[in-house]
Amino acid sequence: MKSKLENIFLLFIFILLTRNSFAQDYLKKQFEYADSLYKNQNYYDAITEFKRLLFFDKYGEYKYQANEMIGLSYKQGAKFSDAILYFTIAEMNARNNDELLESKLLIIRCNILRRTTSHAIDLLTLLGNDKRFADEEKEIFYWKGWTYIFADEWNKASQEFSKTDTNETLSSLCKKVDEDKYSVAFADAISHFIPGAGQIYTGHYLSGLLSLGWNILWGYVTVNAFEANRVFDGLVVGNFLWLRFYNGNLQNAKKFAEEENLKITNKAMQFLQFNYAGLKP
Amino acid sequence: MKNLIIYLFLLTSFSFSQNKIPVRNINLFSPLNIKIFGDYLFCQKDYLRAIGEYQHYLTMASNDTVEFKIALAYSEMSDFSKAAEKFAAIRSNSPFYSDAEMELMKSLFQAGDFFEFRKNFQNVIGKNSTAFSKTISLYNFSFLLTNNPLPAEQEFLGAFPKEDLAKVKNFYEWKENPPEKSPVTAAILSAIIPGAGKFYTHKYADGIWAFIASVGFAYLSYDNFHAKHYFRGWLFGGLAAGFYAGNVYGAAASAQIYNAKIHFDFVSDLKSFLDARNYFLPKFKFCK
Repeated sequence: MKSKLENIFLLFIFILLTRNSFAQDYLKKQFEYADSLYKNQNYYDAITEFKRLLFFDKYGEYKYQANEMIGLSYKQGAKFSDAILYFTIAEMNARNNDELLESKLLIIRCNILRRTTSHAIDLLTLLGNDKRFADEEKEIFYWKGWTYIFADEWNKASQEFSKTDTNETLSSLCKKVDEDKYSVAFADAISHFIPGAGQIYTGHYLSGLLSLGWNILWGYVTVNAFEANRVFDGLVVGNFLWLRFYNGNLQNAKKFAEEENLKITNKAMQFLQFNYAGLKP
Repeated sequence: MKNLIIYLFLLTSFSFSQNKIPVRNINLFSPLNIKIFGDYLFCQKDYLRAIGEYQHYLTMASNDTVEFKIALAYSEMSDFSKAAEKFAAIRSNSPFYSDAEMELMKSLFQAGDFFEFRKNFQNVIGKNSTAFSKTISLYNFSFLLTNNPLPAEQEFLGAFPKEDLAKVKNFYEWKENPPEKSPVTAAILSAIIPGAGKFYTHKYADGIWAFIASVGFAYLSYDNFHAKHYFRGWLFGGLAAGFYAGNVYGAAASAQIYNAKIHFDFVSDLKSFLDARNYFLPKFKFCK
């Protein structure tokens, strides 16, 4: 009889304890619920639910995952500064090197997207110097490549991607973009010697010819005025008309080169966005 | 004995596996938990989410504090029209009614709805002495932001504490005699001496260029007519007329821009002054 009572008592204690062991299922369910909102692209509500999870997670079981998911949700909404804040909290709560690396890379990817290039490069350099991540060298080159793409430094991007072996596509694409781009300095320089040449170099033939024509006309009138000893005439026409068209020609040469470069890089970015299957920032 | 050993083994293994005190299973969406989570969000200044939680909570329970905090959250988010709507909805038996009356006026003031603001102010005169004494300063300030005639200086300044008198007096004097530039004067000055209107509106570099261009082309026109170069004479004459007309028009426009800028600066200064003093209303301490 005593043994039976003892058994019942122990069983009761056991049930009580095991019930408590599974008690924090509510946090798991909350995580799954928040995660489902994230997967359904309902980022605002996902953030609310992850925040709720963090608020009620008294022992910090989900501190890493929930903060990372909040960061990812903010990142999806292009709120990069908020995303970085939460990735940083996730980083502080990382439980192993994999989680640490993941959160650090997410911070870097946000910096790439918001074009804080020097900060992204600094973080990648720090990561490269960290002995814990000695095996991740190629990953670091890969993200350095993306950093340079977003910084519009396609040649540097190509060099970084070429160090990763596996990213021949990206390396050659960046190289091609770099080759296709017009040199703004060259467009500016040739326009100094032959007005309109910069525009012609960037494919704006009509604008280039018009620019050349205006400069010849007002240049002729100015020179003519000086030759006829009409110095004041020459100064005013030269200053208000010739120089105005000459400066306009220089400005246009640079503007057109920059516009054409933007078209080239936008096309490449569009290709990367829709056709490149690898990991993107 | 065998059973006892098994139970003890299970017991210890489950107890230590948790490595922490087991927590009771809780409903995160119970009214109380929704409210405390809303309070947390409110104190984190995540006002939009706090409003969402509070509104959810109000579908299950009634709470005057929560209703007031929803209105405050809208006010903190600078959604003043919505804040005014929520403050106006606070019931007269709520302990926050008097505060809501004042906050309503603050929201109407911040929304720039001075007509409604003054209407509400008339309602508190004689009825609610706290609201009246707290909002009289704001009422006086409303005259600085509208084109209504200003009250007498003594009457106006009487509503403000001593430490603010000097600054408020400056605002009053500015409003009474704003240092505006007349577009007509600017245009006339530029018509007499090209560029003078720009000098009058403190655009010195523009004034010098307007003078050089107008006078320079006029001289060129005269010089070419004099030398019987009629085509060039007409060409430069046309340019001189264009620059001259542009200089007169530009002077008037410059005066208008100058006036718009000083008014913008005045309103900005005034709002910074009011923000620093929370619009002369008490601050609520819902968060530690």
